[in-house]
Amino acid sequence: MQKPIINGNRITIPSDQEYLADVDSFLDGQLRELTVGESIRADIAISVSELVNNAILHGNKSSPEKVVTVEISSEPGQVTIAVSDQGTGFTEEQIDDPVADENLLKEVGRGIFIVRALMDDVDISASERGTTISISKSF
Amino acid sequence: MKLSDREQDGVVILEPKGKIMGGPDASLLHDKLYEYIEHDKKQVIVDLSQVDWMNSTGLGILISGYTTLKNSGGELKLANVTDKIQSLLTITKLVTVFDAYDSIEDAIQSFR
Repeated sequence: MQKPIINGNRITIPSDQEYLADVDSFLDGQLRELTVGESIRADIAISVSELVNNAILHGNKSSPEKVVTVEISSEPGQVTIAVSDQGTGFTEEQIDDPVADENLLKEVGRGIFIVRALMDDVDISASERGTTISISKSF
Repeated sequence: MKLSDREQDGVVILEPKGKIMGGPDASLLHDKLYEYIEHDKKQVIVDLSQVDWMNSTGLGILISGYTTLKNSGGELKLANVTDKIQSLLTITKLVTVFDAYDSIEDAIQSFR
């Protein structure tokens, strides 16, 4: 796969951070259509960027054979975004507490913590075929 | 993200613009910051007034610059932090790490 593919409410990208801006642009368009306000759009965009970065770097380990998929769904007043990779699984126990004094100056390890703070609901589903993290936010 | 940089009264001012989300764009900020550090510029202000938002990648770059400068006797300070970024700094407790000022002038004065 050489470039992003958009199919309705879903975008699939190669495992390369070069395509983060494509995901952001797609997401912003979808959220504007749903009339999500600016501040919540930014919170969702930050969260999705965290999840896509994790999916590319930690899930797929930047493998050119693997892709990351972002799918948006909604119901009145709520949007859900699912970010899927094709890696070998994920557990939050692997992550140090980023606000502990001894970790405060670490350069990495805040992604999921930030997502949990900004979103209403975070669901992680991991298997040998990959990880899907779904986030929901009311608007 | 776009990035401009300048020096005022001997202080380096970096002015990122847009969204700092990772990948090639974020590398711009990291590389420019370290270019100045390698040239022994030890007083740096990052003006965040035109940054829509940043994620943990952006925070990591700021921390990296902060730590590197502090270890060499310098300082990295923030100016014009937007509400959205202030919220992230609070959530992550990094508000306790960075000195932040309401204007570039105030940040420059703090180095005096």
